[in-house]
Amino acid sequence: MSAELERFIAAAPLPQRLGLRVLLALASRPRGMALLARFPLAQQAAFSTLALGRYDDPAVGRALGWNAEQVVAAGRELRRSEGRP
Amino acid sequence: MSAAESSRVVHEADVCVVGAGAGGAVVAAELAEGGARVVLLEQGPRHDIDKFSARPPEMLGRLYRDGGQTATLGSPPILLPLGRGLGGTTLVNSGTCFRTPPAVLERWAGEFGLDVDEATLAPCFERVEKALSVAEVTPELAGANALVARRGAERLGWSHGYLRRNARGCVGSGVCVFGCPTSAKQHTGITYVPRAQAAGAQVLTGADVRKVRVDRGRAHAVEGRLPGGRRLEVRAPRVVIACGTIHTPLLLQRSRIRDASGQRGRNLSLHPATAAFALMDEVVDMARGVPQSFYVDEFASEGMMFEGVAGPPAYAAMALPLTGAAHARAMSRYRHLAQFGLMVSDSSRGHLHVLGSRPVIRYSLSREDLAKFRAGLERLRQLFQAAGAREVYLPLPAGVTPASACADDLKLMAFHPLGTARADARASHGVTDGDLAVHGVEGLYIADGSVVPSALGVNPQLTIMALATRLAFHLLDREPPGGASRPARDRRDGSAQADGKPRTQELTCPS
Repeated sequence: MSAELERFIAAAPLPQRLGLRVLLALASRPRGMALLARFPLAQQAAFSTLALGRYDDPAVGRALGWNAEQVVAAGRELRRSEGRP
Repeated sequence: MSAAESSRVVHEADVCVVGAGAGGAVVAAELAEGGARVVLLEQGPRHDIDKFSARPPEMLGRLYRDGGQTATLGSPPILLPLGRGLGGTTLVNSGTCFRTPPAVLERWAGEFGLDVDEATLAPCFERVEKALSVAEVTPELAGANALVARRGAERLGWSHGYLRRNARGCVGSGVCVFGCPTSAKQHTGITYVPRAQAAGAQVLTGADVRKVRVDRGRAHAVEGRLPGGRRLEVRAPRVVIACGTIHTPLLLQRSRIRDASGQRGRNLSLHPATAAFALMDEVVDMARGVPQSFYVDEFASEGMMFEGVAGPPAYAAMALPLTGAAHARAMSRYRHLAQFGLMVSDSSRGHLHVLGSRPVIRYSLSREDLAKFRAGLERLRQLFQAAGAREVYLPLPAGVTPASACADDLKLMAFHPLGTARADARASHGVTDGDLAVHGVEGLYIADGSVVPSALGVNPQLTIMALATRLAFHLLDREPPGGASRPARDRRDGSAQADGKPRTQELTCPS
């Protein structure tokens, strides 16, 4: 799990944090996945969280046409050149 | 001096404002510029824009309360992301600006006895819109995601348009809700808060307000903690609470403010929302352009509003209502994915409890609102199909159609909590009166979404800011520039009470 995703989960209120950790632990095991498949909402929550982390990887983003570093650098340059806050 | 006293920070002010979001920052700036001594307290930090990374998980954890994972309990559970820091939720919203619909104002006047109409609020709206550089998104900046929706709406003959936003110099970075990296979005943290400071207001961040002190029916001080555990006390004859719809009722309760109406923490509306994706033939690159730039209001009178929504791959991957191989296949075509949202003007009402020091938010969807989602999801499918979508991904479990969906099938989020300290001219029905003064307590006011007595059907930030502007000028005992003059003593709050004495003390402000 990436540090960014870990921080995202750590920021959640305690009940969600515990729930997500359990779901992610289940999702990391074949038998856990099979169990989750019986609970579509729980399965979707685990899958969404894992997907958030996976597609946040800069290399994955670049392959899909998104470059966060470039967006941030362009913003910084615009703020500097125009004296924005 | 004892150690306890030396660690205590005491400020004196004419007005203490608690919360620097849509309401609090506006009140603080207008009052400070009007000559009042203002202390503005914000629980969250002042965010460093240089640290905005445009990466969703990191920014959710940093800019949002609870990492954006505040959720309601009920059927279905609803994610309710709230901003935290100078600017509040205006820091992380999409920037969409609507004035309060006239029909809503008419309802407020008739049902809640509020003295508001289009004409009297117009000067406040104009003032806010000017301060925030509100303007319509241009088609060039709107991005291809908006073009998809526009094409569908045009083919169906549905009413639509480009949204008005509070942005200046926007280049369409595509990450409004994850921290604007260009400072184009004119949130209150970079507009009203600096104005307040320039006019002499003291702004304290990291200030965790625990209590408003009320003595003999009059607010006179605010107590809290500063970073490092130092005790904070702000002595002020007027206190404006602007902690937001979820946290304002909690502060009122902690402060043991009497609630004769029984409405504190109740009457919660949310504008529950969801979104669908579509796979298009053309390249959409949904994160290029303004994510929320376009609307379809054909069914607004039925309580359904459609607005653009989009984001970078991590956001899309999280929101895409698929799993497994289907999810991977759709994400491999991310550049061809379009997304559009459905927001419901809800008749459902929730309420708040406190557990420990945390809010517990209970809210379940009514049958009427479920029917709106069923109809709205079908409309979304129609919209995308008319636009030429190859596939449409509705936010429903496999095998569930909009017509057969039950509440627990819906994947909902909400961004507009309102109403938990609703305004009503009658003390028996509302927490505040029409001028946002808390019933039964002198010198205590509320300026956030909690006073908004009903769902609006449109994004609420401009309504909250206009009401905050109106409150500030009321406290200054002036009309907003351009406002029709109304004798001060005619005001609904009973500036003159039954005993003939002014209800509020005059602020000593230079004219």
